[in-house]
Amino acid sequence: MTKHELIAPAGTKDLYLPVMAEITDVRQMTPLEKLFEIRLPGGVDLGHRPGQFVEVSLFGVGEAPISISSSPTKKGAFDLGIRKVGMLTEMIHRMQPGERIGIRGPFGSGFDMTKFKGKDVLVIAGGIGLVPLRSLINYVLDNRADFGRLVICYGSKSDTDLLFEDERRAWEQDPRVEFHLTVDHGSPAWSGRTGVITTLIPGLDLDLPNTLACVCGPPIMYRFVLLALKSKRLPEENIYMSLERRMKCGVGKCGHCQINGSYVCQDGPVYHYPDIKALREAL
Amino acid sequence: MANKPRVGIFDFTGCEGCELNQLNFEDQLLDILEHVEIVEWREAMDGQAEELDIAFVEGSLSTPDCIKRIHEIRRKSKVLVALGACAVQGGMNALKNIRPIEQVREEVYGQDKYLFPTLPALPISSVVKVDVNVRGCPMTQLEFLKVFTSLVMGKSPIEPGNSVCTECKLKDNECVFEKGMICLGPITRAGCDAQCPSFGQYCTGCRGLVPEPNVEAMEEILVAHGLSMDDARKKLQLFNANQLEGVS
Amino acid sequence: MARFYLEKGKVAAFIAHLQSQKTVYAPHRKGRNAFAFAPVERPQDVVLDYPRTVSSIKKYFLPPREELLSFNLAENTCAQPAVAPLDAVFLGVHSYDVHAVLKLDHNFVTGNPERNYLTRRQGALIVGVGFTPDRFHFSGSVGIPAGDTTGCDLFLHPCEGGYALEVLTPAGEKLVAGFKLPAHTSGLPAAAPFQQHIYVPQAKLKDVFAHNYDNAVWEEEAEKCMSCGTCNLVCPTCYCFDVEDAVDITVTRGSRERRWDGCMLRSFTEVAGGEVFREEPAARQRHRVYRKFKYISDETGEPWCVGCGRCTASCTADISIVSIVNRLVNDYDAVKA
Ligand SMILES: Cc1cc2nc3c(=O)[nH]c(=O)nc-3n(C[C@H](O)[C@H](O)[C@H](O)COP(=O)(O)OP(=O)(O)OC[C@H]3O[C@@H](n4cnc5c(N)ncnc54)[C@H](O)[C@@H]3O)c2cc1C
Ligand code: SF4
Ligand code: SF4
Ligand code: SF4
Ligand code: SF4
Ligand code: FES
Repeated sequence: MTKHELIAPAGTKDLYLPVMAEITDVRQMTPLEKLFEIRLPGGVDLGHRPGQFVEVSLFGVGEAPISISSSPTKKGAFDLGIRKVGMLTEMIHRMQPGERIGIRGPFGSGFDMTKFKGKDVLVIAGGIGLVPLRSLINYVLDNRADFGRLVICYGSKSDTDLLFEDERRAWEQDPRVEFHLTVDHGSPAWSGRTGVITTLIPGLDLDLPNTLACVCGPPIMYRFVLLALKSKRLPEENIYMSLERRMKCGVGKCGHCQINGSYVCQDGPVYHYPDIKALREAL
Repeated sequence: MANKPRVGIFDFTGCEGCELNQLNFEDQLLDILEHVEIVEWREAMDGQAEELDIAFVEGSLSTPDCIKRIHEIRRKSKVLVALGACAVQGGMNALKNIRPIEQVREEVYGQDKYLFPTLPALPISSVVKVDVNVRGCPMTQLEFLKVFTSLVMGKSPIEPGNSVCTECKLKDNECVFEKGMICLGPITRAGCDAQCPSFGQYCTGCRGLVPEPNVEAMEEILVAHGLSMDDARKKLQLFNANQLEGVS
Repeated sequence: MARFYLEKGKVAAFIAHLQSQKTVYAPHRKGRNAFAFAPVERPQDVVLDYPRTVSSIKKYFLPPREELLSFNLAENTCAQPAVAPLDAVFLGVHSYDVHAVLKLDHNFVTGNPERNYLTRRQGALIVGVGFTPDRFHFSGSVGIPAGDTTGCDLFLHPCEGGYALEVLTPAGEKLVAGFKLPAHTSGLPAAAPFQQHIYVPQAKLKDVFAHNYDNAVWEEEAEKCMSCGTCNLVCPTCYCFDVEDAVDITVTRGSRERRWDGCMLRSFTEVAGGEVFREEPAARQRHRVYRKFKYISDETGEPWCVGCGRCTASCTADISIVSIVNRLVNDYDAVKA
């Protein structure tokens, strides 16, 4: 057994100590989802990559991993889109602008945007999977010249829980974006497309070798999207996916997020598909 | 605090070990009253409240009258908390469920049995929706306060899903199996800080079973330690007759 | 370095000598048939000849419950409780538990170094002691003989009439200084043999585990397993934890506490909405064993099980990690033959 130096190296961070940040804006997106704008002390940038997450903390309640929904190109504040599902997220939903929450991070791998330079970007988002991918979408839009086509496929349970209303409409209008939308079950008022997200894929006209796909959605979605991308003959090396697991520490210590031997909070949540293909617990 | 939560406390059939006034709250009582307004308490107050923020309910349901009352309580309460094993699992009262009801009535009421219609001792959750469970026979002060403070903060408390063994090991306890005893800790829900094994006693399972318990494996262990299959079942049924029968 | 002879009659005096310098933690009897490390009050209560303790000395560096933050809810502020180096002597530690601490060091140094663990760990001095393997120990099979002195400052080799006290580091030398002992000149007695073995050369372990992901043994053991988590919590190389917030009765103060957790527990991978990512008990059993023999081992080249036998000794369902691994080896050999 190799012996380790037991002195915490210079610059060792306080792994579990949050920074207090201010909620500067709250917008209700759907009955279950709100978008929070968060400002760190002094308005310093979080310094994240698209696809990374933070641990959001409410004292006496707990912590939860939440994806950063804004692009690093947004300065002075960042966005978190939060679905109300349990103890902590319910409490956060009651908070108002001016109140303060704890933030640790950014954590995780995120998308390495240098690999995307010059490529066509295909975004496949199921439900709340659009929240993290919005960071990537806006990054591409803010550095539009660096990338090829931007194709967005967004699938939602119904038209009543669609996220980011204003931006979505902007993407629909924007000639620089190819936006495809489908819902599993439309309300009577719905005039758009109905069907699960995989039904969008066969019809796409893609420059396969030059297209990088980024997938995020509920756990059951991945397998079917992969099948659809495979029958489309998109090379495996062109697929990235963001996975979700139970997390506690976010810094590779608590063990909860493991997928076989991989720590999602460190090696993920964004994975290059060839790296996790062999992990049996991944998909 | 501007609007203190309005609280009601109710009791049904139980052994009274869990009644709130049995927990020695002298030190905390003032703090508790600081946070809530108790508007209905059958023990100590007359009158009924129209609406409650939190209803604490003790005991299991064993007469048609109980059923009527619990529906009323549910209707007027925003949050309903079941207190103690009787309320949560049907408790010891549920033991009578595994014997023919006629026999039980004979034993309990003798000749007068037809004057007292009884039902099996049902957990509250088998009749109305329960929002929060405070488990144990008796429930512990520790856990009651944990749930209470959560509710005061407006957060929904999370029930521990781990086994009593985990708490036993956190305390570096000697496992009572080492002493030739048996123990239901492996499939019993944590939250009591393994209080029985910590005192050298075995866990009787008073807090109910963990989610997805492997009951067959537990039974086999009890049998391997010398119990007959029948005795093993009885040990498991003491507090969990309803859960094992799939009632709750 | 030097080797002294410490006769049985002088052990208590030697412990007192250590106590005069630092806090001493050592094994004590706990309950009827169990042992646990505890701070030494009276040297005569220390038990140096014991099979194994319930938890290892891990509990001092990664406490079972630890406050990570304290809160002031009224002001919405938090603070980290101060963590002090232990500056203590751990006396009577078995070789496998010392190895386990070295493995924990690895987990808390690599990636994001954790200050809490490292601070506690820094000042710890270790006095190892030999042991007689019982029916659960198998550390010999994972490269850790009973007399292995790795990581120790001093080591007590049991011998006729007492111990051969081996000095291994300058810090150990300082601990002994001032306590007059004769030199130990005869050879060390051969250690007692292990009764349990994993029948596989370490070089082959990698292949064995690569080929047994779908072995029927996981399902078979899962039928007996109650997912109680004991095997995780007693393991000296398990380090997973859960974190929970609590508030006091005034609802103005609170704390964030971490406590040991384990991958055998169903809730370990459960998320809001009820999804459990490692839902099947068989998958959890495999994960535990793979954590000890594959996942970390593939990176470090070493088994992450130190062969203490705790998980097997304390499993009420009699699930044995040795039997599981030997079964995997047999099945692998059968397929390859
Ligand atoms: C990398 C990552 C990114 C995420 N991004 C978002 C996002 O952008 N928006 C969003 O609404 N949700 C996101 N989630 C899910 C979010 O973390 C959970 O919904 C949240 O933890 C639920 O907490 P709760 O206290 O409200 O629920 P409870 O059920 O009360 O959970 C109690 C505790 O369990 C753990 N837990 C429960 N569910 C999850 C989960 N899904 N993932 C991890 N830990 C969990 C947490 O520690 C939590 O505090 C993300 C999860 C991960 C892993
Ligand atoms: S005494 Fe009971 S609860 Fe404690 S470890 Fe043993 S079986 Fe589990
Ligand atoms: S140890 Fe078992 S019987 Fe005792 S209080 Fe806890 S759950 Fe109840
Ligand atoms: S100690 Fe035994 S019964 Fe408990 S989780 Fe481990 S293997 Fe299963
Ligand atoms: S896996 Fe079992 S034998 Fe191996 S170190 Fe852990 S507790 Fe000891
Ligand atoms: S979240 Fe704790 S290790 Fe990944």
